[in-house]
Amino acid sequence: MFKAKRRLVLLAGAALAGVALAVVLLSGWASGGNSAVTDVAGSTNAVLYSAGHRPLAPDFTGTTLTGSRLSFSSYRGRVVVLNFWGSWCAPCREEAPMLAVAAEQYRGAGVAFLGVDVRDTTASALAFVRNFGIPYPSVNDSGSVITLDFTAVVPIAGTPTTLVIDRTGHIAGAVFGTATYTELSDILAKVTGGNG
Amino acid sequence: MPVNVALGHVSTDFLIAALVIYSLSVVAFAGDFAFGRPRRAGSVARVQARERAAALATVATAGAAAAGPGNGPVNGTVDGPADAAVAGPDAAPAVPDSMPEVAPPPLVAIRQAGRWVEAAMALSVIAVAAHTVAIVTRGLAVHRAPWGNMYEFVTALTCVAAIFFLFVMIRYRAWALGVFVMGAVVVALGLAETLIYTAAGQLVPALQSYWLSIHVTAMTLATGIFFVAAVLGVVYLAADRYNRRVAAGRAEPGNGIMRRLPTTEQLDRLTYRTIVFGFPVWTFGVIAGAIWADEAWGRYWGWDPVETWAFITWVLYAAFLHARATAGFRGRRAQYIQLLGFATLMFNILVVQVFITGLHSYAGVS
Amino acid sequence: MTDVRAAEAGPSGTPAAERGQGAPGGQDRPDVSAYGLADWLKWAWRQLTSMRIALVLLFLLALGSVPGSMLPQEGTNPAGVQQYYTAHPALAPWLSRLGLFNVFGAPWFAAIYLLLFASLVGCVVPRTFRLAGSARTLPPRAPRHLTRLPRSAEYSTALVPAQAVDVAARVLAGHGFRLRRPAADGGADGDWVSAEKGYLREAGNLLFHLALLGVLVSVALGGLFGYKADRLLVQGDTFADTQSALDEFYPGRFVTAADLGPFTVTLNQFEASYITSGAQRGQPSSFDAQISYTTHPGGPARTDNLEVNRPLSVDGAKVYLIGHGYAPVFKVTDARGQVVYDQATPFISGSSGNFLSEGVVKVTDAQPEQLGFTGVFVPTAVEINGILQSAFPAADNPAVSLIAYAGNLGLNNGVPQSVYQMDTAGMRQLTPQPQLLLPGQSLKLPGGQGTITFTGYVPWVSLAITHDPGQLPALVCGIAALGGLLLSFMVRRRRLFVRARAGGKAGSPQGSTVQVGGLARTDASGGFEEEFASLAAELRAAHERAAAPIPAGHSQHEGE
Repeated sequence: MFKAKRRLVLLAGAALAGVALAVVLLSGWASGGNSAVTDVAGSTNAVLYSAGHRPLAPDFTGTTLTGSRLSFSSYRGRVVVLNFWGSWCAPCREEAPMLAVAAEQYRGAGVAFLGVDVRDTTASALAFVRNFGIPYPSVNDSGSVITLDFTAVVPIAGTPTTLVIDRTGHIAGAVFGTATYTELSDILAKVTGGNG
Repeated sequence: MPVNVALGHVSTDFLIAALVIYSLSVVAFAGDFAFGRPRRAGSVARVQARERAAALATVATAGAAAAGPGNGPVNGTVDGPADAAVAGPDAAPAVPDSMPEVAPPPLVAIRQAGRWVEAAMALSVIAVAAHTVAIVTRGLAVHRAPWGNMYEFVTALTCVAAIFFLFVMIRYRAWALGVFVMGAVVVALGLAETLIYTAAGQLVPALQSYWLSIHVTAMTLATGIFFVAAVLGVVYLAADRYNRRVAAGRAEPGNGIMRRLPTTEQLDRLTYRTIVFGFPVWTFGVIAGAIWADEAWGRYWGWDPVETWAFITWVLYAAFLHARATAGFRGRRAQYIQLLGFATLMFNILVVQVFITGLHSYAGVS
Repeated sequence: MTDVRAAEAGPSGTPAAERGQGAPGGQDRPDVSAYGLADWLKWAWRQLTSMRIALVLLFLLALGSVPGSMLPQEGTNPAGVQQYYTAHPALAPWLSRLGLFNVFGAPWFAAIYLLLFASLVGCVVPRTFRLAGSARTLPPRAPRHLTRLPRSAEYSTALVPAQAVDVAARVLAGHGFRLRRPAADGGADGDWVSAEKGYLREAGNLLFHLALLGVLVSVALGGLFGYKADRLLVQGDTFADTQSALDEFYPGRFVTAADLGPFTVTLNQFEASYITSGAQRGQPSSFDAQISYTTHPGGPARTDNLEVNRPLSVDGAKVYLIGHGYAPVFKVTDARGQVVYDQATPFISGSSGNFLSEGVVKVTDAQPEQLGFTGVFVPTAVEINGILQSAFPAADNPAVSLIAYAGNLGLNNGVPQSVYQMDTAGMRQLTPQPQLLLPGQSLKLPGGQGTITFTGYVPWVSLAITHDPGQLPALVCGIAALGGLLLSFMVRRRRLFVRARAGGKAGSPQGSTVQVGGLARTDASGGFEEEFASLAAELRAAHERAAAPIPAGHSQHEGE
């Protein structure tokens, strides 16, 4: 009699423990509980990283579409808008005019724009640049290696993705998907205004 | 390596020969039913039970000096020196030894069963030998394990079934069932030859793997064994139905064919032992298939139609094993489950692999 | 598994009347309101863990799998599901609501196997305790009348009872039986030894069932923490294992983008060979993809040969060669004379056979208008009755047939499109007829829109990248299950008893009569008869051997 009761208690305890574990796992995992990442107001795919919680952008070197070597470390000390794009990518075509305008607009403020051309070929990429009047250089990433390095620190799921990197080389904000002018300028305001 | 066409033809010739000899063996088994010595195929236990009853009866009438060595069970091996010394000066012991008897060796038992059984067993052995030669030469002709398409698979599994059943017949003296199992082999082989014959040829690259030998071999073995179990199940159901009809008074007892068959209890145990043999082989085949699938397709289980039906077959045979331990499901219901399992196996081979497109569509049947 | 469970009783703690302890005439129905919730739960649990329910659940599992194999499933064949919707517009939504297009992920299917495993656990855990307990207890005492057992033998020996039992015990111990002898003062009970063997049977049974549970857990592990991905790679190209470089990506629930990689793979060369003659002409005989890979960008490059059945293992993931095809290379010059497109374009082979492939070329930045081409690539071009067909899968006579369009491809508004399909709604056709091009030939577009040149072709391969942390545990559990199964089938639990009573053959008070009895707890698979017969013969022979060294003893007692 006592043995049966004890077994029942054991089973009930085990079941409760299992349920508790499941609840903890499923809930705690999803949220991540990270208050250092905040959404940009009015946007569902743009985030800001608060100072002190900004991931370090990996360094890279590559070949631009015009054939010259480019090293990302040469941009240290400047705010950089890094845009991952491809000529085949429809949402990238949608935001391209905005980026061309923004690049010209922020040139005076010392913000540099740089493109990473993903899974593309030179002829099509150059045609894209010509078509949309992109004034800044892009680095060839047909093998997605640069993208791979950056995905280790921010969750890049595809193109377009736009990252804003502060003067110390840390990623301060990101737009995952088509970027709007409002989102970009909001992020740049936080980054350039004071706490680079 | 190019296919050896000549050897492929040799294989087909041996297969036709096997088919003919199997048919002759079926005729001989049937002849035993019609003209053979009347006896009931029984296991050793029945013989022993009878003899022990006789021995105990003698014990009950202890004191009858007429009790002689011929009264006890036939066993000439256990008279040791002690007995001989003791029995020397005295009369025959009134408490005879009662030791379990050892069954006569198979060849003796076959000879005792009569000429028809002798002929049928001899023909079966020759047919199995020819069948095996056919499979082996086919393998040599195509330089790989000869079960790469449906035709080869059916010829191989019937060979496995025949060899396994030969073993069963010899071990359990079950030649009364020969007409059914060998008959089924003849039908299956005949259908394979006429409907799905494929000449010896190469395999598509997806099948060029040593896992072919392991996975499909296991499946071939298991299917052959389950084939035998299925035939036994059908025989069980027929015998059981007859018994029930006799009990209900709707059939005459003492039917000639039924009298020669083993009891339903023996058939049930034989079926169980057969499936106990085949189930681990099927399980191993599924595991090997999962390993091969992971190597070839990148996942060890993807609910591909053939995988799904192999799983269904496994579950049904597992259900059979559970049913035999569940009150109310033993006997006839368990046999239904087992036959349903075999039906799903056949459905898998004949319908799913051919008609339902999936990664497994390698039947080679156009 | 083969032990029959007791007939299911009502909830424990039933009122006494239910247990039939009332008067025989008392036919009062049990008072249902006397059962509390705990009683009902216990009853439900006992039902769940019964063999009968396990059988029912097994049937349901098998039955539930059937639609999963007959209907197209969303996970493996989404295009087929779409086709089903168009072919059966009224029926399809109902099937979808029942979860029949995703049977193996449906809640009702999960309920079946979860209940089955709950039943399994509820059965197996108590039996494990019982096995542990029985392994500690001794075999039962020998019955008085061994001849009543299913198998028995009787013979006489010259040894005294105590000696006879000693010899028997030694023989049985040599066979690995666990023995029990009577207590030192159990003289009234006579001399006997009790032997039992075969505990591994139940252990194997439990191992099998627990291993099945392990397989389920491993599958869940893989589903939660693993991922599957596809990538089409053109010869000469490289890809890194990151989400944006993959064509399809199916992560487990707890997988994030950072969990991938960081390996890279480059396709250096792909070769396929086909059978050129005989009945199997046109069938592939080998595929071979020569790749180089690094475990992280910038690391040392290693080479490997990817083949079907021979994946690459790197960084905890596996890369499989799934398929291949042709990618014709096009160069497009627009109206302004600029080269606006110059790359290999993967074309996809359909059901036409012999790798006749279809594809599109979208020139998104041609000026002044976007250009597009739909094309058919044939590796070995033949014209039969005016229709372009492919006669052989190898590229013996490559050709491409194009239709040109100009206008708006529909990409600028940001809505993604498949790279293998073109939306011609906003475009006008430039060439009224398809134009055939051989390698090196160009097509000048009417209206000065530009030129397209078919410069050649390169092969592409499709790769599957998978990561499954549950794979190895599942294999280990599968093998353990097989081992447990074999143990539970091959080992029999059996008991053997040997009794020796004084008094040999009639008339000789010396010596003893030895009785041997045995039974198999579960002998459904047979074989105990032969084992008992051989054991009995061996015991007898041992007794004779023990008695034999004193042959003079016989003549001695005869003289007395």
